[in-house]
Amino acid sequence: MTREVSAELLVLRKRAATWILLGIWTLLGVFFAYVVPYALDAEDSPGGVEQFFPESLPGTLLAGFPFFGGVFALMLGVFALGSEYGWGTLKTLFIQRPGRTRVLAAKLAALAIVLVPFVLALFVAGAVTSLVIAQIEGAPVNWPSAWLLVRSIAAGWLILAVWAALGVLLGVLTRGTSLAIGVGILYALVIEGLLSAFADSVTVLEPLTNVFLRANGYSIATALGASSRNIEANGPGSFSGPFVDSPQALAVLAALIAAFIALSALLLRRRDVA
Amino acid sequence: MNGLGDLVIETRALTKRYGDSIVAVDHLDLGVRRGEVYGFLGPNGAGKTTTLRMLLGLVRPTSGRVAVLGAPPGSPQGLARVGAMVEAPAFYPYLSGRDNLRVLARYAGVGEDRVEAVLAQVSLSDRAADRSATYSLGMKQRLGVAAALLKDPELLILDEPTNGLDPAGMADMRELIRSLGEGRRTVVLSSHLMGEVEQVTDRVGVIRDGALVAEGTVEELRGRAGLRVRAEPRAEAARLIRALPDVDEVTSIDGLLDVTVDSSRAPTINRLLVEAGIAVSELYAQKASLEHVFLELTKSEGEPS
Repeated sequence: MTREVSAELLVLRKRAATWILLGIWTLLGVFFAYVVPYALDAEDSPGGVEQFFPESLPGTLLAGFPFFGGVFALMLGVFALGSEYGWGTLKTLFIQRPGRTRVLAAKLAALAIVLVPFVLALFVAGAVTSLVIAQIEGAPVNWPSAWLLVRSIAAGWLILAVWAALGVLLGVLTRGTSLAIGVGILYALVIEGLLSAFADSVTVLEPLTNVFLRANGYSIATALGASSRNIEANGPGSFSGPFVDSPQALAVLAALIAAFIALSALLLRRRDVA
Repeated sequence: MNGLGDLVIETRALTKRYGDSIVAVDHLDLGVRRGEVYGFLGPNGAGKTTTLRMLLGLVRPTSGRVAVLGAPPGSPQGLARVGAMVEAPAFYPYLSGRDNLRVLARYAGVGEDRVEAVLAQVSLSDRAADRSATYSLGMKQRLGVAAALLKDPELLILDEPTNGLDPAGMADMRELIRSLGEGRRTVVLSSHLMGEVEQVTDRVGVIRDGALVAEGTVEELRGRAGLRVRAEPRAEAARLIRALPDVDEVTSIDGLLDVTVDSSRAPTINRLLVEAGIAVSELYAQKASLEHVFLELTKSEGEPS
């Protein structure tokens, strides 16, 4: 399996789209988490100026993962499988040795590995930015505990992994990239966004929204310090609850990953490859 | 189904339907023997590529049975010994030819030293560092063949390998296929180019509308040699030749008599006509070309001969 994963890492590493996504994600992540809100009205923002200081790093960054980060991870997942259909390379891989499930496993493992630098890059860029802001404000530099940082990075990875798995499923389902990305963004904005907005007032929607990536992602983010008032004012990715407790959120996200992977494997195994 | 005897590919009533109306492959019985170069012929849309995809496990048969090297199609144990290029070769466009092969070598479980060996084998070493997107169609074909050779396979399946090659490239590819088919390696060559198949294959199967319509050596398919005779008076010559015991048929074509008989009978026929006072100006052996046989075998029902 190591050889197959290393093959997939080579494919991802040499692909310009991977680096472009990583660059844009990191730049925009810092831009929207720090630069824009700090420049506009740091004092009046829901979290106050303290949210831009190093000690608030996990919460401030994680608030951007469940929607904004999710779209990037979704694209990464779509590219990992959907592009193979467009290029016709899936058949080239399938007629090598390993079998379809193993090919999928290698792609998922490589994707999981590639998500790590995505999370780390944003945390490093966020840390540098928060340090600069603290210097500007003349505030003392207090870093969050290492344990909180580790848990936050792991949570960020998990949230991105769910979206990437959804991207893989959509790539397999639509056998391409364009429609898969379109459907994915439509799902993130319209299905999750609109239904979540009504969930507060329409109680019958609550059980449904409780399994949404948005609800569970934000629930984990708030548990690690993200401000619910900030999340509520998060533009198209806003969420006003209800939040679920962390164990439930973790279980739901893990179950969603398993479901997306199982469905992808089923489709990949059963369908003909042109 | 286990492979029987020396058959490396065996299909029984192999069928692939798309919906209720399209039958891509129809009860195909195919047997490819170990060590032979097998030509798989058919016009476009006859079902060649669908058959090859089923052999490789890319397409699931609707019914029928198939074994490749004694294993189910697409199984890791079978694929480990099969190299294939199906239809247009497909590669990661942003990776170099070498990196594409490295990826495939890792998937195939073979050492990366094979990469340089197969690149040299298809004469692509000089351009191996360039992105595959910059390759010409012919270079992509050669990279496809290189990929198929990575596993040093017992069974090599090549679907239209000379597509996009110039005449010199086609000649090189034919030579390569001939050399690859030496020894115990089995090669299945799918094509609609008669010259290509005629020059490199041991046996040929012809498929039309998804069904096998003929199978045999090229010589068998071309049939017995015939004789062409130009003689005057033609009607009298035809009468005398027709009276010979081993002559099957005599027809008149373009002022010539087309005689279906073993070509070794030429001296007998010549003597017979001359002794009867008939002037013989031409007499030569004539065999049907594989192309002629192919066109006859694959023409649609009701189409005139």
